[in-house]
Amino acid sequence: MRKSMTYALAAGALFGLIGVSSAQASDAEASMLANTCNGCHGPDGSSYGPAAPTIAGMNKFYLVESMKAYKMGTNRPSTIMQRIAKGYTDEEIDKIAGFFASKEFKRIAKQDTDSALAEKGKAFAKDLCESCHEKEGYAAEDYPILAGQMLPYLRNNMMDFASGIRSIDNNPNMSDKEKRKKKRSIADLQEKGGVDAVLHFYASRK
Amino acid sequence: MTKMNRRNFLKTTGGVAAAAGATLAAPSLANAAAGGKVVVVGGGCAGATTARYLKIGNPDLDVTMIEPNATYHTCFMSNEVIGGARKLSQIEQTFDGLTKMGVKVVKDSVTGIDAAKKTVMTKGGSTFGYDRCVVAPGIGFKVDGWADVGDFTKIPHAWKAGPQTQILRDQLEAMPDGGTVAIVAPPNPFRCPPGPYERTSLIAEYLMNNKPKSKVVVIDRKDKFSKMGLFTGAWKSLYGYETPKSFIEWRSAASTGGIDSISAKDMTIETLAGGKEKFDVINYIPPQKAGMIAEVAGLADSKGWCSVDKVTFESMVHKDVHVLGDASVASKMPKSGYSANSQGKVCAAAIVNLLAGKPVGTPSYVNTCYSIAGKDYGFSVAAVYRYDAAKKIIAGVKGAGGLTPADASAEMRRREVEFAYSWYDNICRDTWG
Repeated sequence: MRKSMTYALAAGALFGLIGVSSAQASDAEASMLANTCNGCHGPDGSSYGPAAPTIAGMNKFYLVESMKAYKMGTNRPSTIMQRIAKGYTDEEIDKIAGFFASKEFKRIAKQDTDSALAEKGKAFAKDLCESCHEKEGYAAEDYPILAGQMLPYLRNNMMDFASGIRSIDNNPNMSDKEKRKKKRSIADLQEKGGVDAVLHFYASRK
Repeated sequence: MTKMNRRNFLKTTGGVAAAAGATLAAPSLANAAAGGKVVVVGGGCAGATTARYLKIGNPDLDVTMIEPNATYHTCFMSNEVIGGARKLSQIEQTFDGLTKMGVKVVKDSVTGIDAAKKTVMTKGGSTFGYDRCVVAPGIGFKVDGWADVGDFTKIPHAWKAGPQTQILRDQLEAMPDGGTVAIVAPPNPFRCPPGPYERTSLIAEYLMNNKPKSKVVVIDRKDKFSKMGLFTGAWKSLYGYETPKSFIEWRSAASTGGIDSISAKDMTIETLAGGKEKFDVINYIPPQKAGMIAEVAGLADSKGWCSVDKVTFESMVHKDVHVLGDASVASKMPKSGYSANSQGKVCAAAIVNLLAGKPVGTPSYVNTCYSIAGKDYGFSVAAVYRYDAAKKIIAGVKGAGGLTPADASAEMRRREVEFAYSWYDNICRDTWG
């Protein structure tokens, strides 16, 4: 009886190996591909911080665009993501993005935010950010979620928008109108001294 | 056929469990019917990740994890404890998260694995039956004949985190200014290839800020090392490396001609080129092999490491026994925490499928490894891997991965430290829940 079980398992293993040898890389299941991201981005893509962003619950298109931008290495600077994104085919990126888009954005990191600054930021956010990042940054339909995102991550990206190394002009996924709006909003925010306040507002959302 | 096997399996484990005690018999009988029984040996990064992802993959699996320590101290970030930026308690992980998921955590040492009977024996006298056994014992040491280090209390290895980490930290704090610290860096292959050099960096930082007349000397058993260009670049910009005032001196194996003796009694290291030298603190990191149980269970090869099928991590020696993490030969993945975590997910997915009689899926593996060389100065190496069936290796995807560029800006190096801390918090939750 033990022997028959052995054969059953051996057959299973053999079947598996045949699958592997003839497989293209994109044969891996979405969870198999996506789980490799959790070590840095947190279980199911929700980050415990302090800086690595939560990728769970983002809209799939945004995740695909981000990965492709990292892969191209042109308009999205990074420390490590450009090196990692190059390891995946477009089909695999699609699967990974779909996996994380289906997960809940959990606000589990303990973030050190300033409540007075966050309150000040609420008004700036309403005026300058809300038209894209709707529902106080909780909306995920068209743009990335900002509510509850990691403060250092938000700060780094605002810095990169301001310096131009994260290029709004070269973003192939934005219309000219969107580009103008985004650049104007960021410039306004800087001029009014509201950058830090806005970042604290979004990071403090529970 | 499955039914008959199941019945046979129940009989076997039931008998074994009864011999071990009624408390074990009940759960193994109850859960065995739901999908199978897996015994995981070791609660480190590889073992804990496998246990957690087995439960995620099939909550009905009966998963027992046997680990001798009540908690686990991660080797990653232990260099920050040695440098003084973290307390030992900040690298301590509990098994509560695993217990909550339904993993049975048993505090005991495994003394043997009977691959024919499919049982695991412990020091505490228990016997556990399994359908699949996962062996993740980490590393063991091959202490050199010329190294008189006793029980590693006077000359710590600090290469398994915990009390050893604290001993080294305490010795650095007790050392008077003007003292010299020696790190004996191990030959390949070993756990955490950039680890000795991150340690060198963070000890240098501690000395520079607290004991500026002191220095750290690395007596290496190799002529080159992981992230060498990035480390030496950092040492030059932070610690005066290769100047008369350097806090770091690195000696290659070729330059010393090899080590002849280490004495805990005299606190000396003798090399062919340098003769006998006295040091105030000696950190001897011995050559390594798979953890002891791998050897006892006959899973290790003549070099001391365990050959495995790189898709399932099943041992090449014993059927239904999987070996992963530092103990396995998972070339070309390095022996790192992230590798162990990544392998745990691949192994868990394979076991879930095998126990369900389904084909094993295509694996995907990643390694991401950060090093902190000093304040706001971090860098990383990353790789995305596929299984190469022709070469039977876990091959890095061409054109992807690699090191932080040597010319990365100061801002990017600062961010790498932020991401190193994020890596730590997230991988620990992904591993231990």
